[in-house]
Amino acid sequence: MLSWSGTEQGLEVNLENVQNASGGVEVSFARELVDFATAATEFDLSELTKTRNDLINVAGLAVAIDAAAVIANFEMMTRLADSTGARMQTEVVANRLAVATAMGVDKVVSRR
Amino acid sequence: MSVITVSISDVRADLVFAHEQSWSALSQPGTWWSGAQRRELARTAVLAVSKAEPSPPWVAASTVSANDLQINFASSAAHDAVYRIARHAATLTNDWYQRVTQEIEPLAFVELCGVVCTVATVLSFRRALDLGIPELAPAMPGEPSRIKPANVVDATLNWVPVVGPADKDAAVVQAFTAVPETNRVIWAMADAQYIPDKEMIDPHWTRGTLSRVQMELVATRVSQQRECFY
Repeated sequence: MLSWSGTEQGLEVNLENVQNASGGVEVSFARELVDFATAATEFDLSELTKTRNDLINVAGLAVAIDAAAVIANFEMMTRLADSTGARMQTEVVANRLAVATAMGVDKVVSRR
Repeated sequence: MSVITVSISDVRADLVFAHEQSWSALSQPGTWWSGAQRRELARTAVLAVSKAEPSPPWVAASTVSANDLQINFASSAAHDAVYRIARHAATLTNDWYQRVTQEIEPLAFVELCGVVCTVATVLSFRRALDLGIPELAPAMPGEPSRIKPANVVDATLNWVPVVGPADKDAAVVQAFTAVPETNRVIWAMADAQYIPDKEMIDPHWTRGTLSRVQMELVATRVSQQRECFY
């Protein structure tokens, strides 16, 4: 979805940068968004406060709130997918192999 | 560093409404669990996602006194499943699912997953913005409806049963369909938090804040952090 939406908008998104938590190039506020998402999924409250402040300062409060909403949505969707054993059709997995490799997902040991 | 305070009044009304509706439903009778059971399981999910150092995935959470679980209305197996999904979702396996559903009916398991998803999403949002954890409402009396859709079938793309025909939609879309009220609540939140379903195919859709590619960047990072198999 990230690759697709970026391509459709004429933006270059480097998925290796998502893996490195440094943000995708040419996406506005990418660094701040990735840092906020990272902090929101970890337990360092001072880092969460800092990254939230940084995002609000560069992008505004409404952007930070909607970023928190997207973070929350994927805290939900990841649990929905993992708890119900959701998987993609074989042909979809094959098509996304390059994306998975770029993000380092192929290095994550499958639990299934 | 001066901290910028966020208030609930800063949040979009549709998002506040979706969260209030789903949160209050945690204490109401569901399809397969009573209000007291749902509330108790939601409390376990709150504890699981909130603790910096949770019990490990291979330990039944109900056996760890430090977890402070209250087990009065739902079974220990249900609490253990809730804790595992809430905190260690990436460790779940089909073998685990088969064991759990020997003790919990598959459709009750689906609703249980919905309880965890609701807790995880509402708490994540409020924690990210330092809005505090809302109280769970007192449990409402009443029996679960036990209404089962007529055409529940096994799926290839999910462990859980779904409303047929199976595997026509994406696995995440069909996952909760066998418990329609759970499905409705979860996707109402997804519409408000992420992208309304009917706009999903539009790569340029935006609320005027985050662009689609920015949303996907955040979504990708969270999914990566959680090592989501899907």
